Amino acid sequence: MSLHDSSLKDSRSAPATPGGLSVLSRLTDPRVYCTLFALSLLVIIPAWSGSTFMVHVFVTICVFGALATAWNILGGYAGQLSLGHTVFYGLGGYTAALLLTHFGLSPWIGMIAGAALAALVSLGIGYPCFRLRGPFFSLATIAFLEVVRLLSIHFNGVTGGSAGLVVPLQIGWPWMIFREKINYLYIAFGLLMLCLAVSYAIRHSRLGYSLTAVRERDSAAQAAGININGVKLWAMAISAALTALVGTFHAMYMTFLEPATLFSLATAIEIAMFALIGGLGTVAGPLLGTVLVVPLAELARGWLGASANGLHGFVYGSVLVIITLTLPGGLVGTFGPFVVRLIDRLPGGGRTRADVVAPATKIITGTPGEVVLKAQNLVKRFGGLTATDNVSLTLKRGEILGVIGPNGAGKTTVFAQLSGFLTPNAGTIEILGPDGKWHQPSSPDAFARLGIGRTFQIVQPFGKLSVLENIMIGAFLRHRSVDDARAVALRVAKLMGLDDVKDVEAGTLPIGGLKRLEVARTLATEPTILLLDEVMAGQSQSDTVKMVELIRAIRDTGVTVIAIEHNMQAIMSLSDRIVVIDSGKVIAEGKPDAVVRERRVIEAYLGEDFVDAQGL
Amino acid sequence: MDVLIQLVLNGILLGSMYAIISVGLTLIFGIVRVVNFAHGEFLMVGMYAAYLLAAKFGLHPYASAIPVVLLLFALGALVQRFLIQPLLSADEHIQIFATVGLSTALVNLALLLFGADLYSVPPSAAQGSVQVAGFTLVKGQIVMFVCALALVAGLHLFMQSTALGRAIRATAQNRNAALLMGVKVDKIYVIAFGMGAACVGLASALVMPLYPVTPTIGTYFVLTAFVVVVLGGMRSMYGAFFGAMIIGLVDSLSGYYIAPDLKEVVYFALFLLILIFKPTGLFGLGRGTE
Repeated sequence: MSLHDSSLKDSRSAPATPGGLSVLSRLTDPRVYCTLFALSLLVIIPAWSGSTFMVHVFVTICVFGALATAWNILGGYAGQLSLGHTVFYGLGGYTAALLLTHFGLSPWIGMIAGAALAALVSLGIGYPCFRLRGPFFSLATIAFLEVVRLLSIHFNGVTGGSAGLVVPLQIGWPWMIFREKINYLYIAFGLLMLCLAVSYAIRHSRLGYSLTAVRERDSAAQAAGININGVKLWAMAISAALTALVGTFHAMYMTFLEPATLFSLATAIEIAMFALIGGLGTVAGPLLGTVLVVPLAELARGWLGASANGLHGFVYGSVLVIITLTLPGGLVGTFGPFVVRLIDRLPGGGRTRADVVAPATKIITGTPGEVVLKAQNLVKRFGGLTATDNVSLTLKRGEILGVIGPNGAGKTTVFAQLSGFLTPNAGTIEILGPDGKWHQPSSPDAFARLGIGRTFQIVQPFGKLSVLENIMIGAFLRHRSVDDARAVALRVAKLMGLDDVKDVEAGTLPIGGLKRLEVARTLATEPTILLLDEVMAGQSQSDTVKMVELIRAIRDTGVTVIAIEHNMQAIMSLSDRIVVIDSGKVIAEGKPDAVVRERRVIEAYLGEDFVDAQGL
Repeated sequence: MDVLIQLVLNGILLGSMYAIISVGLTLIFGIVRVVNFAHGEFLMVGMYAAYLLAAKFGLHPYASAIPVVLLLFALGALVQRFLIQPLLSADEHIQIFATVGLSTALVNLALLLFGADLYSVPPSAAQGSVQVAGFTLVKGQIVMFVCALALVAGLHLFMQSTALGRAIRATAQNRNAALLMGVKVDKIYVIAFGMGAACVGLASALVMPLYPVTPTIGTYFVLTAFVVVVLGGMRSMYGAFFGAMIIGLVDSLSGYYIAPDLKEVVYFALFLLILIFKPTGLFGLGRGTE
């Protein structure tokens, strides 16, 4: 039921009906016709009024709506708050204007060149800056903007410096300059539609889900095989290119370029502000925020003239503060689901999507019993503490290996190394890939792609996504299309007993459910080796029994399982082989019944005194 | 050689102004863990206050330091209590937007009230200079240097040897542990934010005799203050002090040896390099961007 997609905050999404329905049938969906009607008002109102001022206001709305929509791809979907996005806007403007001035190239060509340049520059900014957290990323983008602005003033031979640059006035469509102002509106509206279409497509694609996953919780995203920096760079490049397109148009509209307006920090902040007011990470939000705030400011300027200098900024700032305090989800995030419900009551509305469940996964082929993972002499130190001290492990296909040991023994640290989240100080980890060759992956997402699936002892759900969407994030590792991922996720949800709560926001699940969700998300990546870190903890007695059966069933499909567990009864009955870790060392290894009798194991758990008293 | 020494002196004196602003920013970030994007606008508010006190009551900006510091303390405390505190557990981007919104609102409020004109206080002895061993030093800047040293020393004593100072340090180290030890964390935050803003109040009273005030003056100073804070390791008051000196030197030297309009490019470049490659700051005094 697509209503519950509202957890991803999207009020205007058309339901993705299975199969390709005809255009006509899509148009009769109220979500589609309401959206189209609302958008067309952006052209109809000013065209009907015929006033130049109205046309100007609506061009401004389209331009800022497009900028905010483009910004939202990075700031909303990926959660990277760029406050220097006018770098790309200015690049688009200057590239086209300079190509036109010096080479007589049409701004339509300059537009493409500007977008390409902006995308390249954005990669140069994004690559080093994505390691910065929250406000520091914002500060770095401001710094980049300031550097570019100061340089563009300094090199006045190229840019005209502070004095500015006047665009050669050639009139007509090839030169993007018109006497009839309404033509500007057509282009601005077209650009807005382009930005909205791209934003919508991303939001409903694998990239969109990956970005949301990275924004919500990067460790779990990595475990699901997402290349964190890769997806962020994509978001940044797309966002920058769109911003530059709009920048070119706006420069031609204003016919005058100066660094202070093209590389303006205030404008960069406004763009982000509109997106937040409307709703970060939603398709419709940025445009809605613009539509609400821009006319207010433009009208104030129109009525009060220069005496109102600063009024619009004051209004923007105050609205922003009020929104952060009262509606942190923005307008769409807060009221979107309600509005969608209303719209669905219109004729033709309320369509639901048929749930397609994927068939069971194929049995993993390969010789049972062959070695699939070799960890040799792993050492991991944290300062003076050696958390992993010369640990070697091999895993054989199709076995269940139990890892036990007292609290603080270093079990989870070993797991973190086996899944790429920690790099050992010494030692190697080799994994038999699906190609039959041995690999030494170096990042968590590379481990995941080779078929290592891990759960986290401290659960890592994507709290604001629904349970099903959480599982889909895992499924995207092996399935590109949303429909396939959804079908796989539904199957896994059923398997893990989560189908009743599949539309619930994951953050609201109790701990037992969250533990199962961890397993579900990992299973959806279709791993060949499954690393389970205390998945029985927090489960009821009957759930534990079910989990044991489930792990056996997973193994029977050919998956190799390695599990850390404190629930001794469960792990002893489950495991083919047990490894005991204490103080970072492997102290015993063997069949479950043999291991529990070993003196060193009992010592590790109960202490030497106990062992002596028992006369063992 | 003489030129170089003069430039170094200029740089250190200029740095002391950044030091006062940056120490305030560091207090807020180090304790409340919020990056205050409106910090520059606090400076602007303080400068307008000092200007009004001078214009209406003929108060010398140095004399107005006390009321301005108190005013800014109150402003900071109010912002913490009614804007930041409700958002402490909100998403990080909401906190960023809250102070960014406050900054935008304050700049434009000033524009509405005072217009874009420059206002300055009547000329005073602070603008004059003294000759020391053949080098020229601006008196107002010497005052700032002394005040910056006194501020850091005073804060050091306060943090190390008073009960409140200890409570503040405990809160900065671990909010939850402090809470469990009976520290009223919310109150500490209000005080810390107020103190951070009060530092800016001091800075604005000291800057007023030397610079005219405009609505956007805060943006100019605060971007530099952010550079300083990152350089100093984000959470260390001493780091901020030395970072400010370095930026003062970079400003003074690159303005002379490279180009006056590119000195900001130099320290923004420095800022990006530090942020990206050594997020714990130049001296490794902070915990940086984690």
